[in-house]
Amino acid sequence: MIVATVVDWEALADVVVASLVAAVGVTIAFSLAIYGATRLADVRREQHRTTEIVAFALLSAVGLAATATAVVLGLFVMLSK
Amino acid sequence: MDNDLVLVIVVVTALAFDFTNGFHDTANVVATGISTRAIPPRTAVLGAALLNFVGAFISLEVAATVAKGIVQADFITPTIVFAGLIGAIAWNLITWWYGLPSSSSHALIGGVVGAALVAEGTKALISGGLVGKVIVPALIAPTLAFVVAALSILCAYWIIGRLRPGSVNRGFRRGQIVSGGLLALAHGTNDAQKTMGIITLALIANGNISENNFHVPTWVVFSAATAIALGTYLGGWRIIRTLGTRIIKMDPAQGFAAQGAGATVILASSHFGYPLSTTHTISGAIMGAGAAKRLSAVRWGVAGNIVTAWVLTLPAAGAIGGITYGITRIFGTGALGPVIVSIVAIGLVAAIFGQRFRPAAPPPIPGIGEASS
Repeated sequence: MIVATVVDWEALADVVVASLVAAVGVTIAFSLAIYGATRLADVRREQHRTTEIVAFALLSAVGLAATATAVVLGLFVMLSK
Repeated sequence: MDNDLVLVIVVVTALAFDFTNGFHDTANVVATGISTRAIPPRTAVLGAALLNFVGAFISLEVAATVAKGIVQADFITPTIVFAGLIGAIAWNLITWWYGLPSSSSHALIGGVVGAALVAEGTKALISGGLVGKVIVPALIAPTLAFVVAALSILCAYWIIGRLRPGSVNRGFRRGQIVSGGLLALAHGTNDAQKTMGIITLALIANGNISENNFHVPTWVVFSAATAIALGTYLGGWRIIRTLGTRIIKMDPAQGFAAQGAGATVILASSHFGYPLSTTHTISGAIMGAGAAKRLSAVRWGVAGNIVTAWVLTLPAAGAIGGITYGITRIFGTGALGPVIVSIVAIGLVAAIFGQRFRPAAPPPIPGIGEASS
């Protein structure tokens, strides 16, 4: 009962949500970047169609951009307080 | 005059603690990157030291919590802060000696709380702050890091699971340079601020800063950043083995997930002023990344030793802090007690380091004095 009143549960919930969204989001974005880059190398070597090459290149670029944006945004939030 | 001398001793001791904090926690920051061969050890340690320094300038929320939110500044004297610091340094060195990654932060808070309890009783404590800002977050942070790292690695494996391991590992090793950097930055942010908070608390106790006009002086920020960066650069090789290879054997994707989870939990907590343990958090993340792949991949015995060190840290550092305060009071309320305790402590630390870093005996010559295998 005492614990319930002295703990700022709202702030702790923010920590939980921010950590989950940021870490899992960045891992997904970076994994997609790696997936795109690896598949791009495969389809280039196997001389697939241009649409596949473009699609995997785009996936890799978007994944990397999302990762970089999330990192910069996280640091910006830290510095803004 | 006596009070100013005690204040100088407190500042020097706090910076020494900050140094040991960096020394003790190097492993937290670099172990995963080194164990997955994402980055060479010396580069990892140098990079971590530089980013620890930069990280110390990011936020002051944790410093405010340590200075104003855990003990009543009205009842605190520089001697109480000094005794707390000795408790924290002693516990850090004991756990470093045995290779246990315990929490420097909880050692510091435990030491100051123990000394304050012996000096002034429970009225010196802000029990709500201790529970709400330290104990509850201490339980939540490693659990959260465990869950976040586990979810992260499951998502990563789901996406890259069928790809060639060579290409995937190369990619995640590159990613680990960024995630490891973020972890070093997060470590500097949260841990250096605790020293800033302690020095500021001593400045308030000595009357140099008004509690109503709370601020952390720039020289305090700069000196704390420098001390933790130097400690990080020079320390921690012994604990790197425990964190990097003895908890689980990681692949680069797991290292990326663990570092990312640790960094985000520490940064988010720092934003809200929670002085949590970077050691607890990164250990939780490493275990989460390992357990998600295979429960048996985690060496639970080693993990159990770490948990034992966690549980003991607050009371043990508190007990040493309390005893140290009692010893200083034998010599009165002036500077004599802190001076004598400092001299004895320096002698003990020198003896410990002398024994630890004794030159090794030359290797035996095969065939002389031992059976060859």
